[in-house]
Amino acid sequence: MWKFLLLAFRNIFRNRRRTVMTLVMVGGGVAGLLLVGGFFARMFWGLRESTINDGLGHLQIFTAEHFNREEKHVLDTGIDNWRQVAASVSTGGHVRGVAPRIEFYGMLSNGVKSGVFMGSAVDPVAEKSLGFSPRLAVGRDLDAKPGGEIEALIGTGVARSMNVKPGDGLTLLAVTSDGALNGIDVQIVGTVNTGYKEVDDRYLRITLPSAQRLLQSDRVTNLVVGLDATENTDQVATALAPRLNGSPQHLVLKKWIDLAAYYKQVRSLFSTIFVFLGIIVFFMVLMSSVNTLLMSMFERTREIGTMLAMGTPRSWIMALFVLEATLLGVLGAMVGVAGGNLLGVLLNHSGIHLPPPPGTTVPMSFRVLHVPSLMIGSSLLVIVSLALASILPAIRASRLQIAEALAHV
Amino acid sequence: MDEIVGVESVSRRYPLDHNCVSALDDASLHVCTGEFLAIAGPSGSGKSTMLNLIGCIDKPTTGRILLDGVDTSQLNSGQLTALRREKIGFVFQTFNLIPVFTAAENVEFPLLVQGVPSAQRRDRVAAALSNVGLTDRADHRPDLLSGGERQRVAVARAIVHRPALVLADEPTANLDTRNATQLIDLMRDLNRQLGLTFLFSTHDARLLAHADRIVELCDGRIASDSLAQGGSHVEVLASCL
Repeated sequence: MWKFLLLAFRNIFRNRRRTVMTLVMVGGGVAGLLLVGGFFARMFWGLRESTINDGLGHLQIFTAEHFNREEKHVLDTGIDNWRQVAASVSTGGHVRGVAPRIEFYGMLSNGVKSGVFMGSAVDPVAEKSLGFSPRLAVGRDLDAKPGGEIEALIGTGVARSMNVKPGDGLTLLAVTSDGALNGIDVQIVGTVNTGYKEVDDRYLRITLPSAQRLLQSDRVTNLVVGLDATENTDQVATALAPRLNGSPQHLVLKKWIDLAAYYKQVRSLFSTIFVFLGIIVFFMVLMSSVNTLLMSMFERTREIGTMLAMGTPRSWIMALFVLEATLLGVLGAMVGVAGGNLLGVLLNHSGIHLPPPPGTTVPMSFRVLHVPSLMIGSSLLVIVSLALASILPAIRASRLQIAEALAHV
Repeated sequence: MDEIVGVESVSRRYPLDHNCVSALDDASLHVCTGEFLAIAGPSGSGKSTMLNLIGCIDKPTTGRILLDGVDTSQLNSGQLTALRREKIGFVFQTFNLIPVFTAAENVEFPLLVQGVPSAQRRDRVAAALSNVGLTDRADHRPDLLSGGERQRVAVARAIVHRPALVLADEPTANLDTRNATQLIDLMRDLNRQLGLTFLFSTHDARLLAHADRIVELCDGRIASDSLAQGGSHVEVLASCL
């Protein structure tokens, strides 16, 4: 078996120029997949972390009713005893902190013009402890304990529309939990650029006590749980679930992936593109290798005839060709993995930036992740592709008529 | 002596365009163990066809071939492969060594195919290379060997598994006089010392002169056989030359 492997290995290097060309082609395919896949992986990772750190958190706690029915009044399906729940959850392993939130909506006015807002009420201290910092365009973040005025952050689109800047005032109007209309005056302390124009045109953020005063309720919409690492999400979710069972309300725990619809859409789209690229590389390697391996077979016709004449089983001849192609695939994959990773390092240090992705306003840095599973997958793809490409030449070689093969010039 | 090869009324016809060309026509030949037999004749007389049929790498159109008592026409492809592997050694005009293998590895190949254990293979390869005087060239690849050395490696490869029959198709055709003479002497020595049966095609007078028996082919038919002429092949040799 060792000699047979040796024969296959040496046969690969008979025609060095052709082998180098094949290795470049196969390696190029693998390197291309690694770069594209590594870029996508980095993009997925970046999108995942930015989605989580922009405020989604790793886990969120809601009442079950929040998903089962529409609210009759604001905070109708909110969490009552959120302080006890937050205290219980925050003692769990890997939990960095818990931030209560109220999601609400209403109208705002500068005195001469009014518009709709989508509000988010937060505890600035809890948010900061979880690393959830709003992307300030100008001004500062909310103060946890403001002196007098109720502070607010607004989206850059809202500021433009209302013609206000930090230091100016706005009036907020919202329906309370009892169904009455209530209003408060707020002072703008900063504007926020979320990266999404549609959000920036409606965004408003105030402190939790301010929102509870506006909405006349002690409830919160949800609790956002931040962990030490995204990879611990499943483990912590499993561990925390029993702690929620003691609450008078039926509470449910949602993982970030369940709430990140945009992330899932992007990932699905780019994964499909990557699979398509993989299919192209597979067929590219397959078609070009069939030709190369057939040439190799024709050049060795007399030698194959000699081996058959000496009593070599035809199955051995087939196996030899498949083995040679597989070894070539392994070498090509090694070249591709080395080349792809080297190019990845160079690109990561090049400082290239890409234009902002659709729907965002922030340029994206071009970075490539070195993903072991991608290296293994891409390598297997070309190895299988080359092994399949060798089947036709292998069958032809094994079916040669010995006398004719020996007379081949 | 026992009969090792029996060719009985064998014909081999090949289709060529819309016609049929007869390479061998109703030929019969019987070879005994230990013979050193030359098949002579001009180009196109059917020498290689005869060797191909005896070597089980081609099938007769009519007639049958017995190899060591086995009727080869009754064997399937796998059995013929096994028969070639066990009973026959081949020497080709163009050496046909595996270029990526060293001399020793080339000689080892038939044993590898037979599944001989590694230690035995090593000993038998060393013995075969010693028989052909190439012990010091064992680790050289064919492209670093002279034509004569390559053909001696080919002979070592043909005898390493101790076949019942060695078939050599014009073994001296690509060799100069010195190397051809050395090869003829080598084959003759192996025939005498090891009792190997050699059956070779040639029109090389140097080789014919050493043959025990000469069978002359002409237009696919056996024109003469020195055995039928009382063992003396002077007349056959004269007609071949």
